[in-house]
Amino acid sequence: MASLTWQEFLTQSRQFLRMSQHLNDKWELYEKVMPFSRDSKSYRQIYNLNMSLQNQEEPNIFLKFSQKVRSKEDLINVEYHIVYSVSYQVPMLYFQAHRSDGSLLDLEATWRLLMLEFQSRREELLQMLTQQEHPVLFRPFMALHPCRTAEVLDQFGQKSENLVLTFISLYGPHVQLQLSNGYGNSELLKL
Amino acid sequence: MSENLLQFASFESFVSPTFWHKLSELKLDHDRLSDTKRSISGYYINRRATGCLLEVDYTAYNSSTQCPKFSYPAVGTIYNKNTIEEFKELDKLKLLADEGEELLSDIASDAIAKDPSLLARFFILSFADLKNHSYYYWFAFPCPLMPTLSLQNEVIKLKELTQMTKFKEALLSWPSEQQNFFLLYTNGNEVEARSLSSLRPEDVDHYYFCFADPSEYEHPAWLMRNYVAYLIQKNPSFVGKTLKFLGLRFNQQLEVDDSLIWHVQQTEPCDWSQIKFVGWELNQKKKMGPRMVNMRDSMDSAKLAENSMNLNLKLMKWRLVPDLDLDKIAQTKCLLFGAGTLGCGVARNLLSWGFKTITIMDSGKVSYCNPVRQSLYTHADAAAGNLMKATTAAKRLKEINPNAETKGYVIQIPMPGHTIGESLIEQTKQDLSLIEEQVQAHDVIFLLTDSRESRWLPTLLGAVHQKIVVNSALGFDSYMVMRHGSTRYSMRDHKFEDIEGLKCIVGNQLGCYFCNDVTAPGNSLKDRTLDQQCTVTRPGVSNIAASYAVELLVSLLQHPQGDLAAAYYAHNRQESVGKIPEGMLGIIPHSIRGLLWNYENILPATQKFAQCIACSEPILSSFRKEGHAFLFKTFETAKYLEDLTGISEFKRLNSEIIDFDDAEFEMSDSDE
Repeated sequence: MASLTWQEFLTQSRQFLRMSQHLNDKWELYEKVMPFSRDSKSYRQIYNLNMSLQNQEEPNIFLKFSQKVRSKEDLINVEYHIVYSVSYQVPMLYFQAHRSDGSLLDLEATWRLLMLEFQSRREELLQMLTQQEHPVLFRPFMALHPCRTAEVLDQFGQKSENLVLTFISLYGPHVQLQLSNGYGNSELLKL
Repeated sequence: MSENLLQFASFESFVSPTFWHKLSELKLDHDRLSDTKRSISGYYINRRATGCLLEVDYTAYNSSTQCPKFSYPAVGTIYNKNTIEEFKELDKLKLLADEGEELLSDIASDAIAKDPSLLARFFILSFADLKNHSYYYWFAFPCPLMPTLSLQNEVIKLKELTQMTKFKEALLSWPSEQQNFFLLYTNGNEVEARSLSSLRPEDVDHYYFCFADPSEYEHPAWLMRNYVAYLIQKNPSFVGKTLKFLGLRFNQQLEVDDSLIWHVQQTEPCDWSQIKFVGWELNQKKKMGPRMVNMRDSMDSAKLAENSMNLNLKLMKWRLVPDLDLDKIAQTKCLLFGAGTLGCGVARNLLSWGFKTITIMDSGKVSYCNPVRQSLYTHADAAAGNLMKATTAAKRLKEINPNAETKGYVIQIPMPGHTIGESLIEQTKQDLSLIEEQVQAHDVIFLLTDSRESRWLPTLLGAVHQKIVVNSALGFDSYMVMRHGSTRYSMRDHKFEDIEGLKCIVGNQLGCYFCNDVTAPGNSLKDRTLDQQCTVTRPGVSNIAASYAVELLVSLLQHPQGDLAAAYYAHNRQESVGKIPEGMLGIIPHSIRGLLWNYENILPATQKFAQCIACSEPILSSFRKEGHAFLFKTFETAKYLEDLTGISEFKRLNSEIIDFDDAEFEMSDSDE
């Protein structure tokens, strides 16, 4: 199965971030500052990629991206987090969306406004979309369920060189997160 | 004529939830009653712009502006009022004019040349209703109402310019943080980026007045109006001249090719002393008015807790039992008689399932022997010495789930054969009224007391008022959980499958706790030693029974026929496997009797007994007819019940009331 260790996740996330920076994309890497605090605000952006994170045993870092999505006349801001799932040993996509007045989309609204391809397939949707506590921020977030991720990642003939990238490009489109074609350039993997 | 006028894309406010979080924090910890204005900052983005947004998040309140990548700062103020009245009554025109005047004075001084971001202006009038997590707010983007600008040419794109490459080079050379407002100077050959402060009016024809344009539309963003105002105020000679504006717009790949160029002219001069201001944002209904957002879902800890708690239940529904009716559970009101080990256990399980209304009746105090077994109490409760179980339990439940409606009544349940003294008659009447009132106000009655006779009155009331009654009793290592037969009349004659080897009893034909007895409840606490009055059971027994009681109720509630659902009794256990018809959550037995000795459960189902001393028709009709008077007769002597139902006739045994010990009772009963 195509799973990855926390260290592999870290390495590949940082590689993904370098690719993003090279492509002038807006991905960021966040690290929670105080590992034992439940205060959701205590995280910061990592500017220096060479910072030694090797000693961190507990997943405290995630990739972050946000964008506006226009859906049915509503303009929505969606924040996406790629977080490591310790139990499934795969990347997980967490996200949270809010309207222009700051109100958050609940599960129903997320489904209605963001997951257009599932409109007539509620059963299937509920196998995939879930709400759960963000493992780093400890706040309720929407998430795509990781139970089949390893299997899905595995179905890709040759082994992916960057599973984080493969994961985002496979799971992102379900929630309107599209990576630009630039990420397909294998030269970038040398960064 | 009008098609030649330049129009602008209005700013649309876009607020992050974190902006409201921070505002509340500042209001509570810092500003308190002060409502002085506060400087804030916002930002706008000209890379793959959506709409024409001006955004604020929690960083708005920071003293030094730190914009996200690819965005530019906007300078703002928040006027957060203390009351909704102040918010409503404030003179909006004056506020806008005051803000506008400040902009003009920045224009008149050299402030803009030093910091062009002062042209991107906004302010917010707000009222934060912190108790309800509601925010009333109104954004404004102040701007002087200038004479109109006429478009001199077609709007063109940067890539259509012959010198496009040179323009792009010049743009690239200019630091991105200064790209909000700047100049491109061109003399035909060279193109050079310059700061606003370097502007020389005589070179006006050589300039492209550049600005980061957050508009997605054909029209330039609103902030260009202030840009124009600045240029014309500083250089009155620009009136009547054609000015070239370049709205810088990046696409996802950071290319500037689609940036737009407008050639505009202001023909009339401007009377600065008479100037008016515009800029209040329209609300969602496109009307002139404020907006309101309720952030309870993401800010109220009780609401957050509720959502998280419901999540577990919803996951069950989504993933495993799609037809599970969680609303039905949330709406079902439960009344618990007894707040001991069973009462505490049942109440907690009810919370777990999402029941919201839980009322508890008990007469006892929290004592030192309670906390280890009775999961709603602590040692401190016992040490306090005067805390009552019912009220303490209700309070604790509320602490566990603030969204639950819990109430505790310290009350003695009158019992058959427990004579009421003269002095207590009034009190007892009041208690009876309260108990009956509460039974009527709830949907489900749980019988969780430690004696048989205390279950009699609630059983009777449950039957009279057609409530679901769930009963649970404990022996030393045995337990019994049972749903009482419904007293609801079923309009439809339910057809039940005749299944070989199974006895089927329809819900309203099932018996109650007392149906199997041939005695009226007496005083089972009589002659007990003190230690026996603390129920002697293996500790796990109450947890098992409490769990079964709640699960049985939930299964019943989810059954389409509710308490009329039939129970099936297998004569031979082996044969019944797989045959018993199931509800959504499996079979719904009449009773569950289990023994820790061999870790076994049996599921007997028994018929209603026509001479039952608690639920039979003679009893119910006497109660309906005589009310309290009937009850007092039974309190006087339980024998009255036996006579009334004719049960006395049956008794071959001596006519004394048999004193059952609960443990013996259960044991002997499960032998059937």
